[in-house]
Parts: sequence; structure tokens; C-alpha cells
Amino acid sequence: MERNPYHNKTLQWLAYIAVFAFLGLVPLMTDDDFLLNQLATYGVYGLLAVSISLCWGSGGILNLGQGIAFGLGAYGMAMTMQMQSQTEGTIPPFMMNNGLDTLPAIWEPFWSTGTGIFLALLIPTLFYLVFGGLMFAARVSGPFFAIMTLAILSALATIFVDLQPYTNGVNGISPPMPLTIGEVTVDPYSSTAYWLVFVLLLVCTFGAKLLTQSRFGLVVRALKDDPERVRFLGYNVAIYETCVYAISGLMAAVAGCCFAILTQYVSPAQFEVSFSISVVIWAAIGGRASLLWAMLGAFSVQGAQSYAGDQFLSTWILILGFSFILVVRFLPGGFAGLVEMVLDRLTRSTGGREPGLEISGAKGAAE
Amino acid sequence: MIGGFLKIEKLEKSFGGNKVINGFSLDVTERTLQCLVGPNGAGKTTIIDLISGRQKPDSGHVWLSGDDITGMGEHEIARRGIGRKFQIPAVLKGLTVRENLEVAYSREVNAVRNMFSFRPKGCHETLREVAGQVRLTERMDMEAGLLSHGETQWLEIGMVLMQNPNILLLDEPVAGMTENEIELTVAILNKLKRTHTIILVEHDMNFVRKIADIVTVLHMGSLLAQGSIGEIEQDERVRAVYLGTEDAH
Repeated sequence: MERNPYHNKTLQWLAYIAVFAFLGLVPLMTDDDFLLNQLATYGVYGLLAVSISLCWGSGGILNLGQGIAFGLGAYGMAMTMQMQSQTEGTIPPFMMNNGLDTLPAIWEPFWSTGTGIFLALLIPTLFYLVFGGLMFAARVSGPFFAIMTLAILSALATIFVDLQPYTNGVNGISPPMPLTIGEVTVDPYSSTAYWLVFVLLLVCTFGAKLLTQSRFGLVVRALKDDPERVRFLGYNVAIYETCVYAISGLMAAVAGCCFAILTQYVSPAQFEVSFSISVVIWAAIGGRASLLWAMLGAFSVQGAQSYAGDQFLSTWILILGFSFILVVRFLPGGFAGLVEMVLDRLTRSTGGREPGLEISGAKGAAE
Repeated sequence: MIGGFLKIEKLEKSFGGNKVINGFSLDVTERTLQCLVGPNGAGKTTIIDLISGRQKPDSGHVWLSGDDITGMGEHEIARRGIGRKFQIPAVLKGLTVRENLEVAYSREVNAVRNMFSFRPKGCHETLREVAGQVRLTERMDMEAGLLSHGETQWLEIGMVLMQNPNILLLDEPVAGMTENEIELTVAILNKLKRTHTIILVEHDMNFVRKIADIVTVLHMGSLLAQGSIGEIEQDERVRAVYLGTEDAH
């Protein structure tokens, strides 16, 4: 029934499978460990863009503070990795420099790798559930919600700098050893790390795609249009908003964990406002309404930054800002919107004459 | 007690010192179509807002099947079987007609259970039936924002049908419809009132004549008169405040 192949669900899934099949071939095509590390980092950015696309693109919840979950996840993972390299009874060296002689209580659970990773994911998700729940129950939405997320993000950055003895302040935490899970060491410069990120990105993206196609996803897309109408159908809008926001937070926390694994470093820079805003820009340029395109947006912008950014240096940020303005003005749907439009034109000019007439007729009636 | 029996008791509501609803009471009998009529500003839409939870009354009660539903959230009232259609048709413009109807099929409202639900039981059959009823079968994959005005009205009626509440609150469902479209809506409503309780806000007395079992006239936020359309049209007070002014046109 659907005329434009862009809206065909089977073709959409095929596109997702094709992109991930290609990403899965990458480690077979290269054994440049530096390149693999870099590509895996793009995967982390892609995951962040997918998480933004889920809450902003589907649910219309603009979240300028995705760094909250990303940073908390990254700190949780870095703390876990740090404790893996500690022997019984010792404390991380930076603590000694900051005048501590015993391990602070909040660090204790990170002795256990399982508990540490669990907390790295649980704490950001819980934070999103509580914060989102409070905001959405009070029907805070749109720009007001976006500003609240920004405020929390800035506050967290300040707190993590201020708690120097516990977090090493602006210097951050740099675990000396890569993460080890059981017998496997996840060397950041290896195909193992790439595969880890690949699998997590795949699971999260396909999970999010399934979610948007479920009844839950339908209600979320509906409340983006008109939350009031959705309430009168019997749905508790605040719960739906909180859930989609928290799921997107969990995905960002997963991205944060991967980031700490890949860089073996975490600092308050992960809470920087400009970083969280660039995540939104990736999704906007790729196309926030499509999880896959948001991810490709992250790949292309970050890829361009790595290669072109070296040449343009600080002008790069201007180029990025300018392209954002161009997208907002001329391509509100991002690359995804462009592809949708082109496919629409193609299907209408080739064979689909009758449906084309019907649609233009309806448009005339609507005016 | 079967179905939706609705009792409204001494509702009061002020907006910024203006008393909009002033001691309004109403007993709604099951499976009747009750029309709320009255001049502009009489408080018709506010009554609908107060029943459906969009506004909270300053005092008074709304009882549904013996339960006090006053002051409950919109979604809680909706779950108890009160569905509503808005004066300015409120459809989800960015979704297709099909998706609008699917989301209105709100048998399951639990967020977590809905994450694992893709094709709810009975949705497809109901969808086909309702789409036929409101003549939107040909428009299923079109974005709702592209529908004509009459079609948008029908889509929202279709959404209420998908929701299948015991009580339907319809705020000016035929506003902006052509004669033919109104005739079809009359047919839908006359069939629907055999199984559902309907409260309908309307200006157009010709339309009210074709569908109403009981007419309730509202004036300055209070009940002025109630009865069959014949009785109402004979009522001197009603003629003075409402029908009289209409006849003058």
C-alpha cells in the first residue's frame, strides 16, 4: 500500500541490516588498530545520536543534556577499570595526592567489575527516571525541558570538578589498564573493542527501531504531535515520556561506558555543554526522525571533523555551525528528509501516476 | 448498573472571577443522545471540559456509575470509558490516518506492556470496520494533516469509535461539514446511540432535530430547560434567550 519506499517497513529493516553488515565487515578489511579505535569511537557517537533520535526524533523531547547519562556512564566504567588495577587495600594514586588515605565509600562497590558496570548503567537510568518523572508529571516540555537538562548538565560538570579527592577534578581518571571481563581483555586498540562497540550499537539501534514500531512507539510519536489528545485516549503521557527519556538515557550510558573503555580516560569534559549540543547537531544533520540516519549523521560529521577539522583547525566549529543553520533552514528533516523527498519524487514520476494524482488532489482539498 | 450512567451535581467553575458554570446539574440516561445547546458563552464546552477532566470544577461533583470522578486526570477518566471529540478537530497531524486510528484503539494503556505489543488483538478488524464507517478506507496511508476539513472531523469521530468508550462527549462534530457529510454523520450517530451514551454540543438546531433524544438548554452556566426537541422549541424562556435570537436572523 505504501507508495514511497522510504516508508516501507521491510525496506527500512533491510537498510538497517545493510548498514550494519557493512560496519561488521570493517575489521575484516583493515588491521590498522589505530583506525579501528577511531571507528569504534565513531560508533560511540553514533549510539549517542541514536539515543537522541529516540527521544527527540520520535517523542519530540529535545534533550540538550544527553552528556548527563553519557558522563555518568563513562565515570562508572572508568572507576570500574581503575579498581581492576588496584590491589587489595590500595587506593588510586590521585586520591593520595589529594590527601585521602582510605577508599571513599562510593568507590567501594567498584571493586567488583560486575557491580561497577551495573552501577555505571543503573545510576544514569535511575537519574533520568526520577528527573524525567518529576518534569513530565508537571508537564514541563519543549524548550523548558531542554533548558532544565542543560542546567543539570552544567551542575554535574561543576560537581565533578569540585569533588577533586573523589574524581580527580579537571584531570579526570585515567585507569592504567584496559578493561578485563573474565578472561577477555578489551584492548582499546584492537578488533575486540571494535566488536564490543559494534554489538552494543547493533543491539541498541535494532532495539530502538523495534521500540518505535511497537504500540509504545506509536503512542510516543502521537504525543509528539499532541500530548493533550493522547491523554484523552487514556494514555498517561508523563509515564510514556519518562520511559522513552530513560531508555534514551540508558543508551547514552552504554555509550559512556564504551567511551571510557576506548579512551581509558574520563574527565568533566564529558559533561561539557558543547559536546551534548553537538550530539543534537549530529542527529539533526542526519535526520532526527530516523535512528539510522541520526547515526550516519554522527559518523559523517565526526568523520569530517577528524579529516577536515585538522586542516581548518578552529574554523571547523564555524563550518559545523553554518551547516547546522543550512540544515535547519533548507533540510529540516536532515539527510533523511532529503532521501525521503527524492524517493517520493522518483516513485511519483515512475509509474505511480494514479497515487500521485490522488495525493495532489488531497493537498488541494486541504488548502 | 450497565454501561455509563453519568450524574453531574451542582458544578461551579469561575475563570478569573467570571462565573462560567453556575450550579449546573444533569442526569444522563444510558443509551440516549443528549444535546447541549445554548447561546455562545453559555458554558457548553466548559461542561465537556469538566466532565472529561480537562478542567477541574471549583465545587460540585461528576459521578460515573456511582464513582466520583471529579478532579481525576484526563487519562484516568478516559480509561473509565469517557471519550471525547474536540471542537477544533484534534487529530495527530504528523501520523497517517491508519496510525491515528490505531493509537485510538487504547485497550491497553500500560507503557511497559505496550513496548512488547505490535498488533493488538482485534485492532485490525475494528480498524477496517471504523474506516469504512467514516469513509476513510481510501485515505489510510495519508498523513492526517493533509485531509480536508470534513475528513478531519470524521477521522476524529473514527478515533472515538476506535476508543469505543461507554460515553461519548462530542463538541460540535459537524462544524464545517457539507450537507452530505452531515447526513452521513447523522446516520452514524443514530446507529451509535443504540449502544452508547452520547452528549453532544451543538449550535445547529436542524442537526439537533435529527438526532437528539433529549435537549438540554444551557444559559449563563445554568440549566435553563430540558426535554424533547418539541418541548424545547415551545418553551418561552428558551425562545427568549436562544431560539428567539436565531429566528431573528
